[in-house]
This record gives sequence, C-alpha cells and structure tokens, in this order.
Amino acid sequence: MILTPSIRRVVANVRQVGLRQAWRDLNYIGDMKAGRYCGQDEHGNRFFENPDETLWRHRWVDFASHDFNASQVTPEWHAWLTHIRHLPPPEDPIMQASKQPWQTPHFENLTGTRGAFKTYSTTKPKIAGWEPKVAARA
Amino acid sequence: MSSRLALTLRSQLPRSAATPLVSAARPLSTSAILRLATQPTQTGPTVPGYSTPPAAPIVPQAEQTVVDYSNGPSALDKASSLFFFTEILRGMTVVLEQFFRPPYTIMYPFEKGPASPRFRGEHALRRYASGEERCIACKLCEAICPAQAITIESETREDGARRTTRYDIDMTKCIYCGFCQEACPVDAIVETQNTEYTTETREELLYNKEKLLANGDRMEAEIAANLHADHVYR
Repeated sequence: MILTPSIRRVVANVRQVGLRQAWRDLNYIGDMKAGRYCGQDEHGNRFFENPDETLWRHRWVDFASHDFNASQVTPEWHAWLTHIRHLPPPEDPIMQASKQPWQTPHFENLTGTRGAFKTYSTTKPKIAGWEPKVAARA
Repeated sequence: MSSRLALTLRSQLPRSAATPLVSAARPLSTSAILRLATQPTQTGPTVPGYSTPPAAPIVPQAEQTVVDYSNGPSALDKASSLFFFTEILRGMTVVLEQFFRPPYTIMYPFEKGPASPRFRGEHALRRYASGEERCIACKLCEAICPAQAITIESETREDGARRTTRYDIDMTKCIYCGFCQEACPVDAIVETQNTEYTTETREELLYNKEKLLANGDRMEAEIAANLHADHVYR
C-alpha cells in the first residue's frame, strides 16, 4: 500500500489511468486516483473503488456532467457510494432483486429551476367561496 | 499570563478570602512539649579539651518568622503557569505532528462518508410489488409525530379500500426522529438515505402525497435493500 500524499502514488496512479484521465481527476476530484471501475449509472456517472486508499476515500464517482451535483447519483449507486452496500449495484444480488418494474427514472434535485417541486393540495377545498347571486329585478 | 491574572484577581478580592493558602503564624498548643523534647542533651563521649558547640537558641514557635508569600505569586500560580506552559508546548507538538501527516479530507460530493441503512433522511411513501400504494390511512404516523408535521385525510376509494387523499409532510417542521416509520404497520412511510434535497425556497419543502410517492418510486430499490439489511435486527 502506498500512502496517500506521496509522489510514488501519484506517479503510479497517472501511469495506470493515463495523463488525460489524471488531468480530468485533478480538475474535478482534486486528486489523482486510480482504482477498479465498478460501473456507471443511467446518467453516465462512473464509479471507482480502490480499497488501498484512505478510509472512506476508497469509493468515488466521476460525474458525467461538468455542472456536477451530489444529487445526480442514482439511489442504487448512492447506497454504494455512502458505504451502505458492500457490493456495487450490478454485482449486488439483493439490490437487483429489490428493483421493481414500476420504478420511475431518477432525476437530480431540480431546485432553482423551472422543474422545482411546487406544492399543491391533493383534496377538494372544504371551504367554498361566496358567489353572490343577483336576483332579477321585478 | 495566568499568574498575572490570578494576581490581579487576588488584589481585587478581600484579603481574608484571597489568602487562605498563606499560613499565618499560629501558636500550637504542643509547642511547650516540643521544646522540652528537643532540649540538647550530651549523649556521646566527651573529649577533654574540646568543647561541644553551643546548641542553637530555641525560638518559640510563636516568635518564629514566617516567610510572607502574600506579596509574590502563590504556589498555585507558579504550578499553574508551569503546567500551562508545558500544555502549550504539548499542544503545539500535536499540531506539528498533524503537519507531517497525510490530509484527511473526504472530497464531497465525489467521495462520501459512511451512512447507516437506518439513516433517516428524506421521506418517501412506498408501494407493494404490485404497484399498489401501501399507506392505509391509519394515521398512526400523524398521531406519533412529535413535531406534528404530518397531515392526513382519508376517503374510501371506489373499490372500497381506505386510502389517503392527503398525505402532507411539512419538511420544515420534521425533526427526523423516525417515529413515523417505526409506527407504520405496513412500512409505507420510510425515511430514505437521501440528504441531497436542499431547496431554494421553503415552499418546496411542503411535501404532498404525490411528491412522497414519487420519491418512493425513484428510490424503491435502495429502500428495499436497506430494509433487507436491517431486517435481522427488527
């Protein structure tokens, strides 16, 4: 195991992932990491794991979007990324069995955009407004 | 610094309260007995032509001069300044050690700290595997909610089943205690592991039934896997 802030580790990681990916990682994660590719979610975010990294830094995501956001990770991968599940979702039999056909696609937190949730009442109003009726003049 | 502070404090305090540690010369009742016991007596052999040195004159304890510590720093001040100074050095050593250690920063949102399958985050309403909504409008969650954040209204559906027409959670009231999911007899209302639902306005946090069901529809796999991970402890 190579310690996290060593030149040896950086050189080894750059040799493993290539200059292009190392430059990308440096711009996003701020660190040049190398690990096992675990898969990608439906948004194209790619997930990696390297158990030799520092504790709780051994799983990370490479966001597909430049305007990245923590809520862009799908719930299945979120469970893996927050270390709730041991196995990544494609290899996790329980996660695969938990999927339902009626599930809707995931989307990111849309606050601040036109897609933001706006609450509304799901029942009929119990108070009716007064509607004046003018009787016909005789 | 501490000794100076103590000195200024003491100068402001009344004399009797500030000097309990400095001993005043007090006549002991046993002084006469002690004086008798310490009378110099010749015990060894006498050498002719060699006079024994005269014994030191005995001063009664009442007349003995006592070193006055009340003007200088007290023993407590001296001890505290010594220990606080070493404490500063020890603290600086710890800081210096950290300088040479690797940084420990979890680079959120790329990396995340550990969460539990019991983590209580954003709420969701679940469905059965058939797609039928679970909630039967028993209102147990509404009754147990300590923050009174849940509002439920129910009606009989066309097929005769009792279902909610309104299931509102005011997320700005919710204290995330998890009592609602513990009270639920059908595992309908759950708190998911999602924490990334921050909003720009308060209004977006007034969740209604459609929003909660949509949350459940998106996160069902994660919720079910978490419940499976925790079922042995329930």
